[in-house]
Order: sequence, then structure tokens, then C-alpha cells
Amino acid sequence: MGEPLGQPSLENSYSLRPAFQHKFRSSAVKECIHAILKENLANVQYNPEETPGLTQSLSETIKDRLKAEGFHRYKMVVQVVIGEQRGEGVNMAARCFWDADTDNYAQDVFINDSLFCVVAAFGCFYY
Amino acid sequence: MEPEKRRTKEDTWKSDELKKHLRVSQSDSQSEDKKQKEKKLQRAIETHDMVDYKGYRHKDQDKDRGKAKERTGERERFKSSERDRDKLKERERGKDHHREQEREKFKDKDQGKDAEKEKHIKRKDKEKESDKERDRKYRRDELKQMLIQNNLKAYGGSDKEQRRRRESKDQLEQANIRDEVKERRHTERKVKEGKKSESKNSLGEFLTKKDEEGGHRHKSHRDQELNKDRGRSHRDKREHEHSVRGGKERPSKERSHELFVKDGEEKYVLRRPKEGSSIEDRERQLSENNEKRQREENERKKRDLKKTEHKKQGKSLREEETSHHHERSATDKGKSIEREKKEDTSQRQHQGEHVSAWKPMQRQKSEEELETSDNYLTNYEDDFEDYVDDFDDDDDEDNDSEARDSEERLREIPVSKKSEIEEIQRAINAENERIGTLLPKQIQKEHEKEPNMERQDSPARGSLCGMFMDFETANQRQSNRNMASKQKKRSSELLRLIDLDFSVSFSLLDLPPVNEYDMYIRNFGKTNTKQAYVQSNEDNLERDVQTDEIETLEKWTQHPGDSILVSGGPRSSNDVSIDIAVTPKIDSQRLTNFLRSACQVIAVLLEEDRVATQPRWNLRSRQTSLSISDSCFQLNTNLPFLHGRKVSCLHVSQVQRQALLSVHGLPEKPGAIQLDRKYIVCVWNVWQPSSPQKVLVCEAEVSCCCFSPSKATLVFAGTMDGSLVVWDLREDSRMHHCIKLNETDWIFRAPTFSTDGVLSSLNHTYPVLAIEPVSTSVYKEQNYGLSHLSSQEEMSGLSFQIASMDENGTLNLWVAVELQKVDLAGSQSDLGLIPGGKVKLVHSSTVQLNSSLFPKDILCLRTPQTLNIKFLPSNPNHFIVGTDIGVVSHGARHDLRVPPKLFKPQQGGPRPIRANAVDFSPFGKPIFLVGCSDGSIRLHQMTSEHPLIQWNDSTNGQPVIALQWALTRPAVFFVLDASSCVYIWDLLENDLCPVAKQIIQSDKVMTMVVLGEPEKTNGLLGIALAKQSGIIDIQYVKKRWALPQSEESEKLLLLLQQSL
Repeated sequence: MGEPLGQPSLENSYSLRPAFQHKFRSSAVKECIHAILKENLANVQYNPEETPGLTQSLSETIKDRLKAEGFHRYKMVVQVVIGEQRGEGVNMAARCFWDADTDNYAQDVFINDSLFCVVAAFGCFYY
Repeated sequence: MEPEKRRTKEDTWKSDELKKHLRVSQSDSQSEDKKQKEKKLQRAIETHDMVDYKGYRHKDQDKDRGKAKERTGERERFKSSERDRDKLKERERGKDHHREQEREKFKDKDQGKDAEKEKHIKRKDKEKESDKERDRKYRRDELKQMLIQNNLKAYGGSDKEQRRRRESKDQLEQANIRDEVKERRHTERKVKEGKKSESKNSLGEFLTKKDEEGGHRHKSHRDQELNKDRGRSHRDKREHEHSVRGGKERPSKERSHELFVKDGEEKYVLRRPKEGSSIEDRERQLSENNEKRQREENERKKRDLKKTEHKKQGKSLREEETSHHHERSATDKGKSIEREKKEDTSQRQHQGEHVSAWKPMQRQKSEEELETSDNYLTNYEDDFEDYVDDFDDDDDEDNDSEARDSEERLREIPVSKKSEIEEIQRAINAENERIGTLLPKQIQKEHEKEPNMERQDSPARGSLCGMFMDFETANQRQSNRNMASKQKKRSSELLRLIDLDFSVSFSLLDLPPVNEYDMYIRNFGKTNTKQAYVQSNEDNLERDVQTDEIETLEKWTQHPGDSILVSGGPRSSNDVSIDIAVTPKIDSQRLTNFLRSACQVIAVLLEEDRVATQPRWNLRSRQTSLSISDSCFQLNTNLPFLHGRKVSCLHVSQVQRQALLSVHGLPEKPGAIQLDRKYIVCVWNVWQPSSPQKVLVCEAEVSCCCFSPSKATLVFAGTMDGSLVVWDLREDSRMHHCIKLNETDWIFRAPTFSTDGVLSSLNHTYPVLAIEPVSTSVYKEQNYGLSHLSSQEEMSGLSFQIASMDENGTLNLWVAVELQKVDLAGSQSDLGLIPGGKVKLVHSSTVQLNSSLFPKDILCLRTPQTLNIKFLPSNPNHFIVGTDIGVVSHGARHDLRVPPKLFKPQQGGPRPIRANAVDFSPFGKPIFLVGCSDGSIRLHQMTSEHPLIQWNDSTNGQPVIALQWALTRPAVFFVLDASSCVYIWDLLENDLCPVAKQIIQSDKVMTMVVLGEPEKTNGLLGIALAKQSGIIDIQYVKKRWALPQSEESEKLLLLLQQSL
């Protein structure tokens, strides 16, 4: 997307598949996320006032990091959920309407004494 | 919009939002301005073309409707598909330009209006005193003018332009916004119509007049403004060409303005009915209160002005872009608001009564108008479309034409519209205030981002001109449309190649609820520990057995105990004491045996010593000693229980020569002692004469007695009752009665066994006169070597026979049986046995001597009485029985016929002579002596009927009581006659008369027995003499009769052969 106006030369040269080295690799992304979570949440206690800010900053950090990873023509969606851990059961699920050949997701969970953090990163390919 | 997305995404979002807002506000302000302009223009046109307004009106209406139908169709097409956007965009660009120009014009007009208002006010002051009627007329005229103006408006390019622009906005804005716009338009229309119909007469009048006057007065000012605007528009154009962004901002601004306008209009709608109601009376009241109001309102105006300016500056920086317009419009607004208020207040004051009546009617009207509004709207749009078409051509030559148009339009702004404008401006103010309160946050946020943009745009914005903004937005829209179409094409092409699908739902997190136990452990337990076991005492078991362990100990035993040790084995410490006790017990048995024998020896020795040392005994013995004896002593019969008893019988054991039995008869005078009615037998040891060894008691009178043959342990006695009595001397003394007499315990032994009354059929029915032990040593003579053995057997001895003979000649043989088992409770079968007794007599055989021994001739005279019986020592089967007819019969136990049958004296036949004593020679020779009551003594040998030697008158006719061979010399015998004279015969020395004669005068000698030990050569030979007084004297005869001589038995044999 984002092609400037009036460039007919590019009009029909759609790249339908990402280059292999640029493909969204779930494992790599997961490692990324894991590292970031580990770094940022190592000794964090749950605090309802700080959590929204934390989720935002985390999601930004992860997003930037993923962009730096060089998944070209990928739109990244990063969702961060932090909840207090008090023994309740939690179930989170996601469902996507996408092209399964190109798009993928990665998720990682960080669980602390006081909180759990679920990060889901979805990569959607721009054709 | 798409180029924006290439920037950072945060920026894109925010900037987009911002732009939207800005555009809205701008467009609104623009539209508002345009409306005002339109109205003014219309009015201006009306004034010019008032004459033919009716015809126009009809035409216009028809035209509008027709067009409306066409345009609605078109619009719908737009909405459904945006393919045609490209065309419209191009058009819009033109429109925008046009709009901007128009806006400039409006501003100028506003300024003009301000001037006009001022004039109007002054004029009002002047016309205070003018007639009300004239006013009324004037207003009516004005009303007519207004109506015409409205009709003309449809025709007017300004009105069309407004509508056209609205349409274009619709394309960009959302559906709801469109609806709002419609409503707004509708209300505007209502306002216009209401004004047309009723209320705007006066205002119209004023405005027209003002227009006429103020147009000239303020021309110079307007020109200045125009010049400014032109400069600005040039700059804007440049901006538009270089930066698309500037253009984008404008539509958003317009939109925001629109929003404000909308609210203001709504308010206006509410207020209108009042106005309507009051319009009729307004002229009169106005004139009355004009002056007062004028003064107050001047003050208020100033205040409001300041306020609005403050608000604008403080609140919305968006509006700073259009600050110039606003400032101007603000002043206008302020004035208009004041005016409105003036009117309102005056109406309320003077026409309070009418309001209530008018309001409902007005409402109905407004509702009707609402219904018709849709039609109007479409009409407007149609007009607007036309207008746009007209302007499409003007795009290129915008600068010059715009300037001109603005000038023209400024002039054309009708004065009558001023009030309306004021209303709108006032509404805008109110709206601004409200937004200020409602959306402080939003505005603040925008403030934060605003400065960047301000810095970029502020120089341009200062002189920003609305005309260029329109171009930019148009451009923007076109580009958007292009982009959208391009995207659409792209997507349609791509979707053919791509398959989109619903992925499987991913489980991002499944955190199961923590169970209670884990929760507990987490809260209270130590970290990282887990409970693995529960501590309960289930495994702490105990087992116990109640039964004791069986103690085992090995022991051995042997039945006939050879030695002391009859049992043994490992001893535990507990058993030691018992074994120690056992050991002496075994010893004690031996000890008792030892002591029993040793005691006797010791006792004898002691007694002998005492006798030897005591002179009394010696003295006495001398006195009582006889001529024939060396020494003598007495058995101590001086005992309490022996007092007064005469000794009836003496007996000496054939084996134990020292053992002596003495039978004591009943005492002459019965004493106090229990034993007085009993007969007593004393067992003496000759060597211990001080006291009897045992004292035996018997109920019956004892006639004869004897010891057991082998050992002197049993005493047999025959009684006058015909019974036999046995005493066992080994019995324990405790079994018998013990009496303490003179500080000495005497044990009186009852008989162990008695045949009295037990064996009645077999018992003697006559007094037993003789009792003799029949030794089993029948063969003693034949085999001497075995004699010792046989005697030993008898000692252990069970079986030996006792022969008892009563005076009727019945000989009974008894077997003495020693019982192995002792029954202390007494025997059931053996009734004569004492409880605890061991020995009993069993009847063996009975021999009737009278019938067998005596010939018939003797027996026919009378039955001879048997007196005594002797068994042949060398052969116990043979015995001789002394009778009272002077003959001694010879008998045998097994073969009854043995020669000679009778031993007769030398002369005569049987005569009544009692053979009182018979005695076999102890040296084994078959010869015997017979002493008879006539004083004759015969010496018989077993083989001949007649005697070898017969001595008559040796005792001077005195009956012989006792006669006995000496035990140590075979040729010496002792004879006792009834005159207590003792004779000693020594056949070797003198075979015609006794060698010695001793008469005992002191006391009558009852019986005599010879003591002596033939086995010893010490020469002790004694005779025991039982005297009538109860004294028992023992005389040891002199040595010459006692000591055996050499070859004495041969000499005796020679003598006997000679005598034959």
C-alpha cells in the first residue's frame, strides 16, 4: 500500500508472497517477545494503575523491535494483555481471517507471581 | 490520505483526525459565511428586481422541483458507488476556489453589516418619535421584499453555490453528518421562510436602508479589506499548489464550523416562535423602549465582545486559522446578538400575553415546514449542482474574477439579512462556549499537536484566504478518490489470486484456575516445597503376645539310684537351694542308719562305763551275786509302768543274743496309769540294762513271745485269747502313744497286726502256749556255706513262717508278710493291721497234732495236752512237742510219719507227767533234753524212742520249770526247779549229778533263760532270772562252766555212746 499516486509502472506487479528471508517466522518473533518480556517484567508486581501504561509501552517496544527485525511488507499487530494472577482461570483465544500462506502470528506468555502477561503478535502481509 | 500513511503511524492517525476536525470547522464557518452572503445577495437582488418577483417565483419553483428529481438520482448514484468521484473531484476543485472567493466577499459584507448596524441603531434613535403606523407599513413592505428575495435566492448564484458545496461535503462526510446537515439546512430554510412570511419586515427595512447608506460610508474600509484578502488568496493559492496539506486542513475547519452553526441554528429555531409572535407588536414597543435598551445594550455589547474574543483565543486554536474572519464576525455576532436580545426582551416585556396564544400555532407551522423541508432540500441541491456547473469554467481565472465577484457581492449583501446573520453568529458563539465546556480534553490534546502545525502555517495563516483552501480540499478529495479506486482495482485483482480463510482459532493462553490446595501451599507453605506424605500413625504398629515363654531345662535321672546322684543336669541359679536341700536328705537316710547303729553302740559303751564306775552297782552285784556266777546285774525294771508286774516269760533272740524279751503281767494293784489293764512286753538290750529298748503293750494276756528268726525286728506274741500279735519294732515312734512319765517320754507301741477276731475260722480257739519261728534255713546244716546267705535273704525278708500252737494241740503256721506300701489311713482288707503298719500275718496251714502224733491207745484214754513245741534246728521240718503225759511226740510238717513217733521215759507207759521243758542241743546234734514235772530229766536222741540217759531225783522231786543247754559248751546245761534252785550240769565232768547247785532264796524265780554268744570265745555265759518281784537278774556263770574245752563234743559223743 501507500504507493504514491499515478505510478502505472507498478500497477500490476503485485508481490503475492514475501521473500523467504523476510517471511514472518513465528519462532523468531516469539524469541523476540520472550526476551523483551523477560527483560521488562522480571521483577514487576501487578499494579492496576501502572499496568495500562506498561501494556502500551510493552506493545510499542515489541512492535518496534519486530519492525527492526525486517519483515518487509508486513503489517504488525501487537496485542499485550496483563492480568493479575489470583488463581482464577483464564482462557484467551484468537481467530484470524487472513491468508494462511503469508500471514502468521506468534504468542508468548510470561507468568509471574503476581501477574500474567500474554503477548500476541500478528503479521499480515501487504500484497 | 494515503500519502499521509507513509509517515509514522502515530502521526497518521492523529493528523487525520485533526484534519477531519479542522475541515469540518472550516467548512462550517465557510458555509455559515456563505449563507449569510447568500441571503444578503438575495436581498440585494430582490431590491433590484422587486418588480417581477412573482413570475420568477413560480418559474423557479417548477425549475427547482424538476432539477431536484434529477439530482437526487445522481446523488444516490454517488452514494452507492464512488466511481464517479473523479469527475466530482475536478469539479470540487473549482468549487473550492469559488467558495474561497465567496468567503472573502462575505467577510467584506460582514464588515459592511457592522457599519450598517451602527447606522441602523442611530436611525432607530432618530425615529423614536416616528409614527407606529408608518413603521407598520414599512415593515409590511419589507416583508414583501423578503419574500421576493427568497425567491430570487433560488436563482442567485450564491445560494446555488452553497447547496453545491453541501453536496460535495456529503460525499466526504458520513451519513449521519449528512442528516445533520439536512436538518440544519431545513432549519435555515425555516428561518428564512419565517422571516419571509412574518417577521423580517422590519429587519429587512433596516438592512436595506443600512445597505444603501453603509455601502458608501464604509467603502474605503471595505477596499482595504479586499486588498488584504486578495493578498491572502494569492498566498493561499501558492500554498495550495506546493503543499497538499494546507488544503486538507480546510475542509475539516469547515466541518467544525458547520457543527457550531448547527447548534446555533437549533437555538434559533427555538427562539423563533417568540419572535414570530412578537413581530406584529414589535414596532410599537420598539419605539417606546428604544432609548433605554439602546443604552444598556451598548454596554452589554462591549462586554460580550470581550468575552467572545477571550473565549475564542483561549479555547480553540483551530479557529485561529480563521481568526481574522472570526474576529470580524465576532464583532458582528456580538452586535447581532445584542440586537436580538433587545428584540426578545422588548417582545417579552410588552407582549407577554400574546406569547401563550401564539406559541402553539407557531409550533404547528414549524412542523408543517419540517415536512416540506425535504423537498426544499432537494431543490437546493439541484440548484447547487447547476451553480457548480456554471463555476467549473471559472477555475482558471479565479484570481481576477474572484476579486471582482467579491466586490460585487459585497455590495449585493442585503441589509435585511443582517439580523439573520447576527442570529447565526450568536448561535456560533453559544456553540463555541458549549464546546469549550464539553470538549476541553479534545481541544487540549489538539493544542499539544497544534503548535507544530501552527509554526508551519502561522505565517500563511495570518493572511489565510478561504479561496485556496477550497482548491486544496478538492484536490485532496480527488486524490482520495483516485486512491480509493486504485485500491479497489488492486483489491479486485488481488482477491482473485489470494484465498483468504478463517484460520483455526489459536489458543493464546490457557491458565487453569489454581486449586485450593495449591493456593494454600502458595500462601502458607514454603516456596518450592511440596507435600508428599501425610503424617499419621498408621504405620506405628505394636505387636504383643500375652503368653509367657516356656522355660525349658534339661534334666536327667536314673531309676534305681546307684549313688547319691540320681538326677542331674545343668542347674539354674534358682535350683541350687533345692539341690542343696536334696543332698543332705540323701545323706540323712544314711545318717539315720548310721546313727541308729552307732547310737546303740555308744549308748552301750556309756552304760558299761557307768556300771564300771558306779560302786553301787558293783556293791549290789556282789551282794546279789551267786556262787555259781562271776558277776551279775539287774535289768532296770524299776520303772513306773513296770511296778507290781511279775515277769511271766523271758525270751532271747536266737540271732541277736543280747536282745531279750520280758513279758510283764498285770500289776497287783491297779495304778493311776492307763496301761494298768494292758500287758507289757519289754524289749531289752542286755548290754544296756538301764531301760528297755522298746515297750510294747497288748490288751490280751501274753503267754508266749518270740523274735523274728533272722533279725530281731519283729516281735510275735501269742495270747491267752488264742490270738497272735505282731509288733514291728521299726515303726516310727510317732505312730504310737507317747506318755511322759517322770520327765521321760515313753512310747508304748500297740501291736502292728493282730489276728484277734480277724481270721476267726482259722484262729486258735485255745490259749496259745507256744510260738516258734520256723526258719527257712532248713538246709543250714547241709550246706553251711550258704547259711549266711540265707540269713541275709531272711533279713531282707519277706517270707518266714511262725508256728503257733495252742494247748489243744492245734499247730498253725503263719507267713509273716511285709507290705511294700504303707497306708496311713488304714487298710480295708487287712482289718487287723494298724494304720501305717507294714507287717501282717497270713495263715499258711494248720496241723492237728493230737490226731496225728499220738497213737490211738493214748488218745482213747484222754486227749493229751500239748505244752510246748521245738523245731529241730538242723531240719525245721521235724519238731517235737512236749505233752502232759510224760512223752514227747515227734512230728514233721510235710510227712506225718517219722520214727520214733514218741519219746518215752525209760520205765513205764504214759503217765500224767508234764514235760515242762524241751530243748535241742544248739550244736547241731540231734539230741534234746526233757524236763518233767516229777523232777526227772531225760536226754533223748532223735533216732531212739527211749532216752539215752535219765536222771531221776536230781532235784529232790521238785518239778523242773526250765531247762536249757549252755550256748557255749555242748555238754553243760542249766536246770531251774520250782524251789528257785538252779542246777548246773556238766556231763563231761559228772554225768550222774549236777556239778553245782545254787538256791535263790530272796525271791522266787519265775523263769530262767540262758544268754550267751556261742560265736565268741570270751566265755560270757549268763542266765537271766525273772523273779516274782519283777526283777530280772542276769548272772554270768563262772568261767569254768562257761569257757569251752577242747574236743568237748567228741567226749560228749563218746559218753553218749557209752551210755547206750
